[in-house]
Amino acid sequence: MLRPRKAGGMNPGTRQAECHDALAGFAVALLDAARPVPHDLRTWNGSDARQRFAVYRNNVVVSLVDALDAAFPVTAQLVGEEFFRAMAREFVAGHPPASPMLFEYGADFADFIEGFAPAAAVPYLGDVARVEYALTQSTHAADAPVIDPAGFRALLAEPERLASLRFRLHPALGVVRCRYAAASIWAAHHGAGHLEAIDWTAAEDVLVTRPHMEAALRILPPGGAEFMLALGRRLPLAEALDIALSNAPGFDPQSGFGVLVNAGAVTEVIVEETTA
Amino acid sequence: MKQTSIGKAFPAVVLATALGTVLAGGPAVAAEPDKDKCFGVALKGKNDCAAGPGTTCAGTSKVDYQGNAWRLVPKGTCEKTASPTSPTGFGRLAAFKEKKA
Amino acid sequence: MNHSTRDATLLPPRAGIGLKGQHVRDLLASAGLPAFVEVHAENYMGAGGPSHRALDAVRERVPLSVHGVGLSIGASEGIDALHLGRLARLLERFEPAAFSEHLAWSTHRGTFLNDLLPIPYDAASLHRVCAHIDRVQSVLKRRMLLENPSTYVEFAGSTMGEADFIAEVISRTGCGLLLDVNNAFVSCVNHGRDPVAYVESLPLHAVGEIHLAGFAEDRDSAGDRLLIDSHGSPVTHAVWSLYRHALSLTGPIATLIEWDNDVPDFARLMDEARTADEVAEACCVPARQAA
Repeated sequence: MLRPRKAGGMNPGTRQAECHDALAGFAVALLDAARPVPHDLRTWNGSDARQRFAVYRNNVVVSLVDALDAAFPVTAQLVGEEFFRAMAREFVAGHPPASPMLFEYGADFADFIEGFAPAAAVPYLGDVARVEYALTQSTHAADAPVIDPAGFRALLAEPERLASLRFRLHPALGVVRCRYAAASIWAAHHGAGHLEAIDWTAAEDVLVTRPHMEAALRILPPGGAEFMLALGRRLPLAEALDIALSNAPGFDPQSGFGVLVNAGAVTEVIVEETTA
Repeated sequence: MKQTSIGKAFPAVVLATALGTVLAGGPAVAAEPDKDKCFGVALKGKNDCAAGPGTTCAGTSKVDYQGNAWRLVPKGTCEKTASPTSPTGFGRLAAFKEKKA
Repeated sequence: MNHSTRDATLLPPRAGIGLKGQHVRDLLASAGLPAFVEVHAENYMGAGGPSHRALDAVRERVPLSVHGVGLSIGASEGIDALHLGRLARLLERFEPAAFSEHLAWSTHRGTFLNDLLPIPYDAASLHRVCAHIDRVQSVLKRRMLLENPSTYVEFAGSTMGEADFIAEVISRTGCGLLLDVNNAFVSCVNHGRDPVAYVESLPLHAVGEIHLAGFAEDRDSAGDRLLIDSHGSPVTHAVWSLYRHALSLTGPIATLIEWDNDVPDFARLMDEARTADEVAEACCVPARQAA
């Protein structure tokens, strides 16, 4: 059953090693069109194996570019399909997915975009991609209960404990700190606001949550990102407020509570048993 | 020692009032109309693609367009965003690049 | 080990459709339902969220088949334990009536290539594929269905035919066969073989599910037809004929309409499923008479 391999330029080795090499060579040539196609392919009619191998190359590249197109629709609209697909192609070649769960693909796409010279004319493009990635991750995050307004109302029974409360934030919550107005730009592509009216040079801190099973964006007030990140580190409310305040002197606890109550941000309130 | 500085900014009564105002549907959002915008509920149904990409078990008949990304110029909705350096104010993103250079 | 594997699937022997996110609302509101739906395992491996909720709702109405594309059973390296664990949790969570994967590979040294790639049919591959399927079936505690691939090239080093290879895998591992009739047709045309003879030489006693789809057509450098398994169009006449022939040998089998590119609306998919049901009803040979 095991025939000696035909002369083909590969070093002799065990059958296992050769097979391993066959797939390794196949994989390498798939993502790099400059590589020669594997030498050990055959066609029934003597037709060019390169052309047939190109079907696989095409499948891999197009399917991964399609995946990015689906995951980053606003990023694509901003620069147009032709530009986006060409840019995504460059990304795919250098950053193929590490996991078969494609909803995780593109974690470093925003960073790539920011280093991609032809996109430099659209400085906010990377931030928009960052927001879109956060939305997808929020969509697939774990389910958890949300503390609703009634749950917060119960906390008012012991106001002296408010300062020491800690919060377990919802698994679908994310904070994206953008140098540009990425959330406003995203929203303008979804029927909220007009692109022409946006000052895209304004930095935005963006909160992503998933109230009612649908990922949503919220632009945080100054200090809001520090506030949420501090709560995410399980610091008590008073400490998180202090941190927010030291970053944004105008920070208002009402805005902080507004986010916690209305965005579906909290999944558990941790009440300290021993408070003075 | 640390305790003296923590939580000083907002006494319990301020916190309770703030939370109470939010729960009463008070002007939490209105207070910062341009800084605490929420996008989601108003956009319901427009967000279906947030599930992101899926896997495929099919090949594609679409042919990979091997355009030279380095020679392409973005041509999409970015042309509508205002440019602070453009004489018209719109669509001249290249001007921003020049300003930065 | 070579016993009947029909119990590798609990799917009804009628037509189902691939579930697309955009069709969930239509399906839940529809009076007419497909006999089952199939989803790709990897698209539901997130921790939770709306896709899980939708699948919960759908599987309350129709039986579910889970179809993996990322296990990379043909890979030269071992099965990814992490991925297999995710799959086990998914199957526990949604308790599908069938689980299937491909005779192909899609992951290499930590890179997922998002395509189903061919393997050489030789003793080393056979040994490896069987070891991988043994592992999968023992971790998942269920029999899986293995799908015959569509391929565009063959390996010079192959020492067995594809059907013999598949028969040997099924005999050694006890897994079932997911007969993809479109793949069979595509591969046979691409490699100058007779599709009917190919299907007849498969271990048809082990068929637990059938796939049908449309293909795209190209030409190779010799001017011969080169078919692409694109799942982007209706099932072709030739594939319906081959399906009819396969059913005449197997009896009615759970049959999936796969339509993954240029996806039509729900009603159109249901039409295609109805056609499959009509073909099955017209096939009078009782089940289990295959040689």
